[in-house]
Amino acid sequence: MSDQSHARTDHDLAPGEEEQHSVGTRILGYVVGLALALLLTATSFFIAGTDLVWQPSIPVALIVLAIAQMGVHLVFFLHITTGPDNTNNVLALAFGLLVVFLVVGGTVWIMAHLNANMPPMDHIIRMQ
Amino acid sequence: MLGKLDWSAIPFDQPIPLIAGAIVLVAILGVLSWVVVKGHLPYLWREWITSVDHKRIGVMYILLASVMLLRGGSDAIMMRIQQAVAYQSQGYLPPEHYNQIFSAHGTIMIFFVAMPFVIGLMNLIVPLQLGVRDVAFPTLNSVGFWLTATGALLVNLSLVVGEFARTGWLAFPPLSELSYSPGVGVDYYAWSLQISGVGTLVAGINLVTTVLKLRTKGMNYLRMPMFCWTTLASNLLIVAAFPILTATLAMLLLDRYLGFHFFTNEAGGNVMMFMNLIWAWGHPEVYILVLPAFGIFSEVVSTFSGKALFGYRSMVLATMAICVISFMVWLHHFFTMGAGPDVNAIFGIASMIIAVPTGVKIYNWLFTMYGGRIRFATPMLWSVGFMITFIVGGLTGVLLAVPPADFMLHNSMFLVAHFHNVIIGGVLFGAFAGFEYWFPKAFGFRLDERWGKLAFWFTFLGFFITFVPLYIAGMLGMTRRMQHYDVAAWRPWMIVAAIGMAVLTIGVICQIVQIVVSIRNREALRDRTGDPWDGRSLEWATSSPPPVFNFAFNPDVRGEDAYWDMKARAQQQSLERDRPEYQDIEMPRNSPTGFVCAFFATIMGFALIWHIWWMVILGGLGAWATFVVFAWRDHDEYVIPAEEVAAIDRVNLEERGNLVSMAGTV
Repeated sequence: MSDQSHARTDHDLAPGEEEQHSVGTRILGYVVGLALALLLTATSFFIAGTDLVWQPSIPVALIVLAIAQMGVHLVFFLHITTGPDNTNNVLALAFGLLVVFLVVGGTVWIMAHLNANMPPMDHIIRMQ
Repeated sequence: MLGKLDWSAIPFDQPIPLIAGAIVLVAILGVLSWVVVKGHLPYLWREWITSVDHKRIGVMYILLASVMLLRGGSDAIMMRIQQAVAYQSQGYLPPEHYNQIFSAHGTIMIFFVAMPFVIGLMNLIVPLQLGVRDVAFPTLNSVGFWLTATGALLVNLSLVVGEFARTGWLAFPPLSELSYSPGVGVDYYAWSLQISGVGTLVAGINLVTTVLKLRTKGMNYLRMPMFCWTTLASNLLIVAAFPILTATLAMLLLDRYLGFHFFTNEAGGNVMMFMNLIWAWGHPEVYILVLPAFGIFSEVVSTFSGKALFGYRSMVLATMAICVISFMVWLHHFFTMGAGPDVNAIFGIASMIIAVPTGVKIYNWLFTMYGGRIRFATPMLWSVGFMITFIVGGLTGVLLAVPPADFMLHNSMFLVAHFHNVIIGGVLFGAFAGFEYWFPKAFGFRLDERWGKLAFWFTFLGFFITFVPLYIAGMLGMTRRMQHYDVAAWRPWMIVAAIGMAVLTIGVICQIVQIVVSIRNREALRDRTGDPWDGRSLEWATSSPPPVFNFAFNPDVRGEDAYWDMKARAQQQSLERDRPEYQDIEMPRNSPTGFVCAFFATIMGFALIWHIWWMVILGGLGAWATFVVFAWRDHDEYVIPAEEVAAIDRVNLEERGNLVSMAGTV
């Protein structure tokens, strides 16, 4: 285990330190990414205004498209891969996502329950 | 022209801050003129102020923390005296002054004592333990330090120019909003934290990168010393949590400067949101401080027990578990805010769960000591004292994590006693243990043991004499932050606490005497081996103080406790014979970027506080231009030729060799 993990840390890449590809391949990667990103953006705008699909599904569709958009950015522009040279980046991403989820989710949950010990508003209005 | 600033900003009618300010000013001018007259200024500038050497920056962080400890400690003494005399009277501090003192005490102790102290120790030691030559971003490191110093300077400036916040150390709205705090106090608070927060964030990024990216040959994650692990966890928390603080304070500043309504009572603002956000940073912050201390205790306990750390992997797991769970407990700071029983119960349980990995650590330290040959040197005394103190603090913490109990104890003196119990008993004892333990590494001579032990005993006893009465007063219903009170039952406990504070002060004086005595006896206390404590990790493998490049050769690590391993194999002698050829070493050049940038940041911060807009633009442009100049630099490294490396290394090896052969003859 020790030798392998050492070899891995030697080759772990920081964001921006690209693997050796020719300029052509790299430009192609960015172009594909741009096309996908534009496609997803256009679809989002289209879905938001359309009446072709069942209306309550629109927010869900927008969320799905937004997550896909993040994925495109991570893969094509930030070059996150599942390769062993990317362990640190993937772990950092996972930790970041976890913290964002905990803080944002926790905040929404806490703030939604703040009035738990209060009488309902209409009750107060009736008392007046 | 000068915004809100005029002569009324200087409190001519209040003798205490004016006299204190005058004494500090005289002291600073005295030191400065001594430096200039003796001609030390060029040396200071070249070797310290512009230094990007992680060891020098670490020492400067610790120096800043020590000076600020005296400032925060003076505030504490004033508060304890006030509460001892203010029974059915006004005491000697008027309410507006007393409120500033407790706010400044908390702000300084957390942001400008505890934070720089642990960051300083991490800076000083982590690259050495990893067997590398410097941190990942040396110039950024210097920027981080000087921005922290800017924050400290602004807070202390508020003593004589204007006023400090009267809102407590977290500046809760609506009190901290413009309508209730129209003065510059909250602005001093917010801008100094914003500027020093940037410094802390870059230090965090730097140390995370260092641990993840720069390790010597063979140093895999599971061979790193425990202090490196806790550094990693603590700095991951800095990177994740400090942006929350920055964003929250930015919203408060928008409210105060541009009439926004994030946290106001009117126009749809929500005060509760501030509590929620500030504690989403505030709770991880507690672990940012205490995790490095846990790492220090792990190193010290293992070294002075002469044993490898018990349960190394469980310790790693516990550290990383704390790192994650620390983001799941923040609501326990405001159980009483009105979230329902469901929310309170979940966060209460999470708060109790986080005590489990902490308990694992305590058992690991105890089992490390079990069966070891324990040497009770000063660092070990601090560590054992920590275990006792921290268990008491942890248990009162678990008590406070029970929501119904918290409804009784919230904002009482019991709470004050609890968090001082964990922060003094955990963080400060850890910082002192690390200070005593690594001082020989940083300066090349040990600290006087007799005064060190005296300092420990006075601090340890003084701590309990001060804070046990506060627990009791809290149980008797005394709330925190009282300028005066009329309840006779509290009075005796406040007097005992003031006596305890006197004992604590003696402890601090002993520590100062210890440093003075040690500097005078430095020849007798000289550490020639580089390994005064029979250490186990790589920082002891180089000379004390280490050369600027730390190691002439990158150490080759073959297991846990790297240096112990080398000593066990007696590689020391064999290495001398078959050392490979010395090579040129490239080191980063010193750079004034950090100092100049912080100079402009200070101007900008001061101008923002006093609404001097042209000066804000000037400071901002200056700080930005500093970075542009740095970004356009031509060469940022210099070469130490192989002969010089060889000469330095040979002196070091000879001294060691002599000692080894001397030990052999005896």
